[in-house]
Amino acid sequence: MTPRHHLNEATLVSFAAGALSPEMTAVAATHLEACRDCRDNLAHAERIGGLLLGQQQAAELDAAKRGRLRREMLDRLDESTQSRHDGTIQARSPDVSPGDPDGLPQPLRAYFGPTWSALRWRWVAPGVHMIRAAHTSGDTLLLLKIAPGKSMPVHSHQGTELTQILQGAYDDALGHFSPGDAADLDNETEHQPITAPGAPCICVAAMDAPLRFPGWLARKLQPLVGL
Amino acid sequence: MSSIETHAKDAGYWAGQMVAVSCTRDRDSFMRIYDHFAPRVQLYLKGLGSPEAVAEELTQEALLRLWQRAELYDAARSGLSTWLFRIARNLHIDRVRREPQWVPVQDALERLDEPEDAGPSPAESYAEHVDLRNRIEQLPATQARLIRMSYFEAKSHQEIADELGMPLGTVKSCLRRAFLRLQLGVRRGA
Repeated sequence: MTPRHHLNEATLVSFAAGALSPEMTAVAATHLEACRDCRDNLAHAERIGGLLLGQQQAAELDAAKRGRLRREMLDRLDESTQSRHDGTIQARSPDVSPGDPDGLPQPLRAYFGPTWSALRWRWVAPGVHMIRAAHTSGDTLLLLKIAPGKSMPVHSHQGTELTQILQGAYDDALGHFSPGDAADLDNETEHQPITAPGAPCICVAAMDAPLRFPGWLARKLQPLVGL
Repeated sequence: MSSIETHAKDAGYWAGQMVAVSCTRDRDSFMRIYDHFAPRVQLYLKGLGSPEAVAEELTQEALLRLWQRAELYDAARSGLSTWLFRIARNLHIDRVRREPQWVPVQDALERLDEPEDAGPSPAESYAEHVDLRNRIEQLPATQARLIRMSYFEAKSHQEIADELGMPLGTVKSCLRRAFLRLQLGVRRGA
Protein backbone atom coordinates (compact mmCIF):
# COMPACT_ATOMS: atom_id res chain seq x y z
CA MET A 1 0.00 0.00 0.00
CA THR A 2 1.91 3.03 -1.28
CA PRO A 3 -0.20 6.15 -0.90
CA ARG A 4 -0.80 8.19 -4.04
CA HIS A 5 -2.45 11.15 -2.38
CA HIS A 6 -0.27 12.94 0.14
CA LEU A 7 -0.34 15.58 2.82
CA ASN A 8 0.04 19.10 1.52
CA GLU A 9 3.58 20.32 2.23
CA ALA A 10 2.04 23.25 4.12
CA THR A 11 0.42 20.71 6.48
CA LEU A 12 3.77 18.99 7.02
CA VAL A 13 5.42 22.31 7.85
CA SER A 14 2.72 22.93 10.45
CA PHE A 15 3.03 19.39 11.80
CA ALA A 16 6.79 19.87 12.23
CA ALA A 17 6.27 23.27 13.81
CA GLY A 18 3.69 21.94 16.28
CA ALA A 19 1.11 24.24 14.71
CA LEU A 20 -1.66 21.71 14.03
CA SER A 21 -4.51 21.04 16.44
CA PRO A 22 -4.37 17.66 18.23
CA GLU A 23 -7.16 16.39 15.96
CA MET A 24 -5.39 17.41 12.72
CA THR A 25 -2.23 15.93 14.19
CA ALA A 26 -3.97 12.60 14.77
CA VAL A 27 -5.14 12.37 11.14
CA ALA A 28 -1.81 13.59 9.71
CA ALA A 29 0.08 11.09 11.89
CA THR A 30 -2.17 8.28 10.64
CA HIS A 31 -1.11 9.17 7.10
CA LEU A 32 2.54 9.54 8.11
CA GLU A 33 2.55 6.04 9.58
CA ALA A 34 1.56 4.74 6.15
CA CYS A 35 3.66 7.04 3.98
CA ARG A 36 7.41 7.03 3.67
CA ASP A 37 7.47 9.99 1.25
CA CYS A 38 5.65 12.22 3.71
CA ARG A 39 7.95 11.08 6.54
CA ASP A 40 10.92 12.17 4.43
CA ASN A 41 9.27 15.52 3.86
CA LEU A 42 8.56 15.80 7.57
CA ALA A 43 12.23 15.15 8.36
CA HIS A 44 13.09 18.01 6.06
CA ALA A 45 10.52 20.30 7.68
CA GLU A 46 12.12 19.51 11.05
CA ARG A 47 15.56 20.36 9.67
CA ILE A 48 14.18 23.77 8.73
CA GLY A 49 13.01 24.11 12.35
CA GLY A 50 16.46 23.16 13.61
CA LEU A 51 18.15 25.70 11.40
CA LEU A 52 15.77 28.45 12.42
CA LEU A 53 16.35 27.58 16.08
CA GLY A 54 20.13 27.75 15.64
CA GLN A 55 19.89 30.98 13.67
CA GLN A 56 18.18 32.97 16.40
CA GLN A 57 20.13 35.83 17.88
CA ALA A 58 19.65 35.25 21.55
CA ALA A 59 19.85 38.19 23.91
CA GLU A 60 22.50 37.92 26.60
CA LEU A 61 21.20 36.95 30.02
CA ASP A 62 22.68 38.86 32.90
CA ALA A 63 25.83 37.27 34.23
CA ALA A 64 24.50 36.34 37.67
CA LYS A 65 21.48 34.53 36.31
CA ARG A 66 23.52 32.78 33.69
CA GLY A 67 25.96 31.60 36.33
CA ARG A 68 23.17 30.23 38.48
CA LEU A 69 21.57 28.31 35.60
CA ARG A 70 24.95 26.90 34.58
CA ARG A 71 25.73 25.65 38.08
CA GLU A 72 22.27 24.15 38.34
CA MET A 73 22.81 22.34 35.04
CA LEU A 74 26.20 20.98 36.13
CA ASP A 75 24.67 19.66 39.37
CA ARG A 76 21.92 17.94 37.48
CA LEU A 77 24.39 16.20 35.16
CA ASP A 78 25.63 14.21 38.14
CA GLU A 79 22.28 13.36 39.59
CA SER A 80 20.73 12.28 36.34
CA THR A 81 23.10 9.73 34.91
CA GLN A 82 21.46 6.92 36.87
CA SER A 83 17.89 7.74 35.98
CA ARG A 84 18.37 7.89 32.23
CA HIS A 85 15.65 5.43 31.47
CA ASP A 86 12.85 7.71 32.68
CA GLY A 87 10.79 9.27 29.93
CA THR A 88 11.61 6.57 27.44
CA ILE A 89 8.58 4.52 28.37
CA GLN A 90 7.04 3.04 25.26
CA ALA A 91 3.51 3.97 24.32
CA ARG A 92 1.39 1.25 25.86
CA SER A 93 -1.58 -0.38 24.20
CA PRO A 94 -1.97 -3.43 26.40
CA ASP A 95 -5.00 -4.85 24.61
CA VAL A 96 -3.63 -4.86 21.05
CA SER A 97 -0.42 -6.47 19.92
CA PRO A 98 1.47 -4.77 17.10
CA GLY A 99 0.31 -5.98 13.71
CA ASP A 100 -3.07 -7.16 15.03
CA PRO A 101 -5.51 -6.48 12.16
CA ASP A 102 -8.12 -5.46 14.74
CA GLY A 103 -5.92 -2.61 16.00
CA LEU A 104 -6.84 0.94 14.99
CA PRO A 105 -3.97 3.13 13.79
CA GLN A 106 -2.06 4.15 16.89
CA PRO A 107 -2.68 7.93 16.60
CA LEU A 108 -6.46 7.36 16.64
CA ARG A 109 -6.66 5.12 19.69
CA ALA A 110 -6.81 7.93 22.22
CA TYR A 111 -9.97 9.17 20.51
CA PHE A 112 -11.74 6.02 19.36
CA GLY A 113 -10.33 3.19 21.47
CA PRO A 114 -7.79 0.53 20.53
CA THR A 115 -9.73 -1.81 18.21
CA TRP A 116 -12.05 -1.85 15.21
CA SER A 117 -14.27 -4.44 16.84
CA ALA A 118 -15.07 -2.25 19.83
CA LEU A 119 -16.20 0.75 17.76
CA ARG A 120 -19.79 1.80 18.37
CA TRP A 121 -21.05 3.21 15.09
CA ARG A 122 -23.97 5.60 15.12
CA TRP A 123 -26.41 5.82 12.21
CA VAL A 124 -26.69 9.36 10.86
CA ALA A 125 -28.22 8.99 7.40
CA PRO A 126 -29.02 6.13 5.02
CA GLY A 127 -25.75 4.32 4.35
CA VAL A 128 -23.78 6.62 6.62
CA HIS A 129 -22.46 5.77 10.07
CA MET A 130 -20.29 7.98 12.17
CA ILE A 131 -18.41 8.24 15.44
CA ARG A 132 -17.58 11.68 16.67
CA ALA A 133 -14.61 11.94 19.04
CA ALA A 134 -15.42 13.43 22.41
CA HIS A 135 -12.96 15.63 24.33
CA THR A 136 -11.52 17.48 21.39
CA SER A 137 -9.70 20.80 21.50
CA GLY A 138 -12.31 22.58 19.40
CA ASP A 139 -11.71 21.00 16.00
CA THR A 140 -13.98 18.16 14.94
CA LEU A 141 -12.68 14.60 14.59
CA LEU A 142 -14.89 11.97 12.96
CA LEU A 143 -14.74 8.37 11.91
CA LEU A 144 -17.06 7.91 8.94
CA LYS A 145 -18.32 4.69 7.42
CA ILE A 146 -20.08 5.08 4.11
CA ALA A 147 -21.82 2.24 2.31
CA PRO A 148 -20.34 1.12 -1.05
CA GLY A 149 -21.50 2.79 -4.25
CA LYS A 150 -22.97 5.76 -2.45
CA SER A 151 -22.82 9.34 -3.58
CA MET A 152 -22.17 11.87 -0.86
CA PRO A 153 -23.68 15.33 -1.10
CA VAL A 154 -21.61 18.01 -2.83
CA HIS A 155 -20.00 20.08 -0.14
CA SER A 156 -17.31 22.62 0.46
CA HIS A 157 -15.53 23.75 3.58
CA GLN A 158 -15.09 26.97 5.45
CA GLY A 159 -11.74 25.85 6.73
CA THR A 160 -9.43 22.90 6.39
CA GLU A 161 -10.61 19.30 6.13
CA LEU A 162 -8.02 16.58 6.44
CA THR A 163 -9.15 13.04 5.67
CA GLN A 164 -7.29 9.75 5.72
CA ILE A 165 -8.75 6.68 4.04
CA LEU A 166 -8.58 3.60 6.26
CA GLN A 167 -10.68 1.03 4.36
CA GLY A 168 -12.59 0.87 1.10
CA ALA A 169 -12.28 3.65 -1.45
CA TYR A 170 -13.98 6.63 -3.02
CA ASP A 171 -13.68 8.75 -6.14
CA ASP A 172 -14.17 12.45 -6.60
CA ALA A 173 -12.97 15.16 -8.95
CA LEU A 174 -9.53 14.93 -7.34
CA GLY A 175 -9.08 11.25 -8.16
CA HIS A 176 -9.35 7.78 -6.68
CA PHE A 177 -8.71 7.52 -2.95
CA SER A 178 -7.90 4.19 -1.34
CA PRO A 179 -6.42 3.06 2.01
CA GLY A 180 -3.32 5.05 2.94
CA ASP A 181 -4.35 8.08 0.88
CA ALA A 182 -4.91 11.50 2.41
CA ALA A 183 -7.24 14.22 1.15
CA ASP A 184 -5.92 17.55 2.36
CA LEU A 185 -8.55 20.11 1.39
CA ASP A 186 -9.22 23.76 2.01
CA ASN A 187 -12.13 26.10 1.41
CA GLU A 188 -11.50 26.40 -2.30
CA THR A 189 -12.38 22.78 -2.91
CA GLU A 190 -15.93 21.66 -3.55
CA HIS A 191 -16.27 17.96 -4.00
CA GLN A 192 -18.68 15.07 -4.14
CA PRO A 193 -17.15 11.78 -3.10
CA ILE A 194 -18.70 8.59 -4.46
CA THR A 195 -17.71 5.45 -2.61
CA ALA A 196 -16.40 2.52 -4.62
CA PRO A 197 -18.49 -0.65 -4.95
CA GLY A 198 -17.69 -3.66 -2.78
CA ALA A 199 -16.78 -2.68 0.78
CA PRO A 200 -17.80 0.33 2.84
CA CYS A 201 -15.41 3.25 2.83
CA ILE A 202 -14.08 4.08 6.28
CA CYS A 203 -12.13 7.24 6.81
CA VAL A 204 -11.10 9.55 9.59
CA ALA A 205 -11.53 13.27 9.11
CA ALA A 206 -10.55 16.35 11.08
CA MET A 207 -12.03 19.73 10.32
CA ASP A 208 -11.53 23.14 11.83
CA ALA A 209 -14.81 24.67 10.65
CA PRO A 210 -18.27 23.33 9.85
CA LEU A 211 -18.96 21.69 6.50
CA ARG A 212 -21.15 23.56 4.05
CA PHE A 213 -23.70 21.69 1.99
CA PRO A 214 -25.44 23.69 -0.71
CA GLY A 215 -29.19 23.76 -1.20
CA TRP A 216 -32.01 21.69 0.17
CA LEU A 217 -29.82 18.81 1.25
CA ALA A 218 -27.93 21.09 3.59
CA ARG A 219 -31.07 21.99 5.46
CA LYS A 220 -31.99 18.34 5.72
CA LEU A 221 -28.64 16.83 6.51
CA GLN A 222 -26.82 19.44 8.54
CA PRO A 223 -28.91 19.20 11.72
CA LEU A 224 -28.86 15.43 11.36
CA VAL A 225 -25.11 15.14 11.11
CA GLY A 226 -24.68 17.82 13.73
CA LEU A 227 -21.76 19.49 11.97
CA MET B 1 26.61 39.14 13.07
CA SER B 2 28.33 36.00 11.87
CA SER B 3 28.55 35.26 8.19
CA ILE B 4 26.87 32.34 6.49
CA GLU B 5 30.25 30.65 6.34
CA THR B 6 30.72 30.75 10.12
CA HIS B 7 27.20 29.49 10.74
CA ALA B 8 27.77 26.52 8.49
CA LYS B 9 31.03 25.59 10.16
CA ASP B 10 29.05 25.64 13.37
CA ALA B 11 26.87 22.76 12.21
CA GLY B 12 29.83 20.39 11.82
CA TYR B 13 31.45 21.78 14.95
CA TRP B 14 28.38 21.18 17.10
CA ALA B 15 27.86 17.69 15.72
CA GLY B 16 31.48 16.99 16.74
CA GLN B 17 30.89 18.30 20.26
CA MET B 18 27.81 16.13 20.51
CA VAL B 19 29.70 13.04 19.40
CA ALA B 20 32.15 13.71 22.24
CA VAL B 21 29.23 13.88 24.66
CA SER B 22 27.65 10.72 23.34
CA CYS B 23 30.87 8.64 23.16
CA THR B 24 32.78 9.80 26.23
CA ARG B 25 30.21 11.81 28.17
CA ASP B 26 32.49 14.78 27.88
CA ARG B 27 31.18 17.47 30.22
CA ASP B 28 33.18 20.31 28.71
CA SER B 29 31.76 19.60 25.27
CA PHE B 30 28.31 19.42 26.77
CA MET B 31 28.70 22.78 28.51
CA ARG B 32 29.89 24.36 25.26
CA ILE B 33 26.69 23.12 23.65
CA TYR B 34 24.76 24.38 26.65
CA ASP B 35 26.28 27.86 26.52
CA HIS B 36 25.56 28.22 22.83
CA PHE B 37 22.12 26.66 22.54
CA ALA B 38 20.38 27.29 25.88
CA PRO B 39 19.68 30.99 25.14
CA ARG B 40 18.37 30.06 21.69
CA VAL B 41 16.10 27.32 23.01
CA GLN B 42 14.82 29.70 25.66
CA LEU B 43 14.02 32.35 23.08
CA TYR B 44 12.20 29.77 20.97
CA LEU B 45 10.10 28.60 23.94
CA LYS B 46 9.27 32.16 24.95
CA GLY B 47 8.16 32.85 21.40
CA LEU B 48 5.75 29.94 21.62
CA GLY B 49 4.08 31.72 24.52
CA SER B 50 5.72 30.44 27.69
CA PRO B 51 6.33 32.95 30.47
CA GLU B 52 10.01 33.64 31.16
CA ALA B 53 10.24 31.31 34.18
CA VAL B 54 8.59 28.40 32.38
CA ALA B 55 10.76 28.88 29.29
CA GLU B 56 13.83 28.90 31.54
CA GLU B 57 12.82 25.69 33.29
CA LEU B 58 11.94 23.86 30.07
CA THR B 59 15.21 24.98 28.51
CA GLN B 60 17.15 23.39 31.37
CA GLU B 61 15.09 20.26 30.92
CA ALA B 62 15.64 20.18 27.14
CA LEU B 63 19.41 20.44 27.52
CA LEU B 64 19.39 17.85 30.29
CA ARG B 65 17.63 15.46 27.93
CA LEU B 66 20.34 16.02 25.39
CA TRP B 67 22.80 14.83 28.03
CA GLN B 68 20.66 11.94 29.23
CA ARG B 69 19.92 10.59 25.76
CA ALA B 70 23.25 11.43 24.19
CA GLU B 71 23.90 7.81 23.27
CA LEU B 72 20.85 7.92 20.99
CA TYR B 73 22.32 10.78 18.99
CA ASP B 74 23.21 9.83 15.44
CA ALA B 75 25.10 12.56 13.62
CA ALA B 76 24.32 10.93 10.27
CA ARG B 77 20.60 11.17 10.92
CA SER B 78 20.14 14.68 12.15
CA GLY B 79 22.06 17.78 13.03
CA LEU B 80 22.29 18.78 16.65
CA SER B 81 20.07 21.82 16.20
CA THR B 82 17.35 19.65 14.60
CA TRP B 83 17.52 17.21 17.48
CA LEU B 84 17.30 20.02 19.98
CA PHE B 85 14.43 21.62 18.07
CA ARG B 86 12.47 18.38 18.33
CA ILE B 87 13.20 17.99 22.04
CA ALA B 88 12.17 21.58 22.84
CA ARG B 89 9.06 21.45 20.68
CA ASN B 90 7.97 18.14 22.20
CA LEU B 91 8.49 19.41 25.74
CA HIS B 92 6.44 22.50 24.99
CA ILE B 93 3.54 20.56 23.49
CA ASP B 94 3.60 17.99 26.29
CA ARG B 95 4.06 20.29 29.29
CA VAL B 96 2.65 23.66 28.30
CA ARG B 97 -0.08 22.71 25.84
CA ARG B 98 -0.71 19.48 27.70
CA GLU B 99 -1.42 17.33 24.68
CA PRO B 100 -0.74 13.83 26.02
CA GLN B 101 -0.93 12.20 22.56
CA TRP B 102 1.87 14.16 20.98
CA VAL B 103 4.91 12.40 22.42
CA PRO B 104 3.69 8.80 21.87
CA VAL B 105 2.81 9.71 18.27
CA GLN B 106 6.27 11.18 17.68
CA ASP B 107 7.97 8.17 19.25
CA ALA B 108 5.96 5.77 17.09
CA LEU B 109 6.82 7.69 13.91
CA GLU B 110 10.47 7.75 14.84
CA ARG B 111 10.58 3.99 15.35
CA LEU B 112 9.31 3.42 11.80
CA ASP B 113 12.53 4.65 10.22
CA GLU B 114 15.31 2.98 12.12
CA PRO B 115 18.72 3.93 10.71
CA GLU B 116 19.43 0.55 9.10
CA ASP B 117 16.53 0.84 6.67
CA ALA B 118 16.73 4.58 6.26
CA GLY B 119 18.11 4.43 2.73
CA PRO B 120 20.20 7.39 1.64
CA SER B 121 21.02 9.19 4.86
CA PRO B 122 19.52 12.64 5.20
CA ALA B 123 22.75 13.76 6.83
CA GLU B 124 23.13 17.45 7.34
CA SER B 125 26.42 17.77 5.57
CA TYR B 126 28.32 20.99 5.45
CA ALA B 127 27.20 21.74 1.88
CA GLU B 128 23.56 20.93 2.58
CA HIS B 129 23.61 23.14 5.60
CA VAL B 130 25.00 26.12 3.68
CA ASP B 131 22.52 25.49 0.92
CA LEU B 132 19.47 25.37 3.20
CA ARG B 133 20.61 28.42 5.13
CA ASN B 134 21.07 30.36 1.90
CA ARG B 135 17.64 29.36 0.76
CA ILE B 136 16.05 30.47 4.02
CA GLU B 137 17.74 33.84 3.74
CA GLN B 138 16.58 34.26 0.16
CA LEU B 139 12.90 33.47 0.71
CA PRO B 140 10.52 36.16 -0.53
CA ALA B 141 9.33 38.31 2.38
CA THR B 142 5.82 36.87 2.64
CA GLN B 143 7.00 33.27 2.54
CA ALA B 144 9.65 34.03 5.16
CA ARG B 145 7.02 35.63 7.36
CA LEU B 146 4.66 32.64 7.12
CA ILE B 147 7.51 30.24 7.85
CA ARG B 148 8.41 32.25 10.96
CA MET B 149 4.80 32.45 12.14
CA SER B 150 4.56 28.68 11.78
CA TYR B 151 7.81 27.70 13.47
CA PHE B 152 8.25 30.45 16.05
CA GLU B 153 4.63 31.12 16.98
CA ALA B 154 3.08 27.74 16.14
CA LYS B 155 0.24 29.51 14.32
CA SER B 156 -2.18 27.39 12.33
CA HIS B 157 -2.97 28.19 8.68
CA GLN B 158 -6.29 29.67 9.75
CA GLU B 159 -4.73 31.81 12.47
CA ILE B 160 -2.20 33.15 9.97
CA ALA B 161 -4.99 33.81 7.47
CA ASP B 162 -7.01 35.72 10.08
CA GLU B 163 -4.05 37.70 11.34
CA LEU B 164 -2.77 38.78 7.94
CA GLY B 165 -6.15 39.04 6.23
CA MET B 166 -5.11 36.49 3.61
CA PRO B 167 -7.36 33.79 2.14
CA LEU B 168 -6.71 30.38 3.71
CA GLY B 169 -5.84 28.85 0.34
CA THR B 170 -3.21 31.52 -0.24
CA VAL B 171 -1.60 30.83 3.14
CA LYS B 172 -1.37 27.15 2.31
CA SER B 173 0.00 27.61 -1.19
CA CYS B 174 2.49 30.20 0.03
CA LEU B 175 3.79 27.89 2.78
CA ARG B 176 3.92 25.05 0.30
CA ARG B 177 5.99 27.10 -2.13
CA ALA B 178 8.35 28.10 0.68
CA PHE B 179 8.83 24.46 1.64
CA LEU B 180 9.51 23.40 -1.95
CA ARG B 181 11.98 26.23 -2.41
CA LEU B 182 13.84 25.14 0.73
CA GLN B 183 13.76 21.55 -0.36
CA LEU B 184 15.24 21.90 -3.84
CA GLY B 185 18.65 20.40 -4.07
CA VAL B 186 18.69 19.32 -0.45
CA ARG B 187 16.49 16.28 -0.46
CA ARG B 188 17.73 13.04 -1.97
CA GLY B 189 20.66 15.09 -3.23
CA ALA B 190 23.50 13.26 -1.47
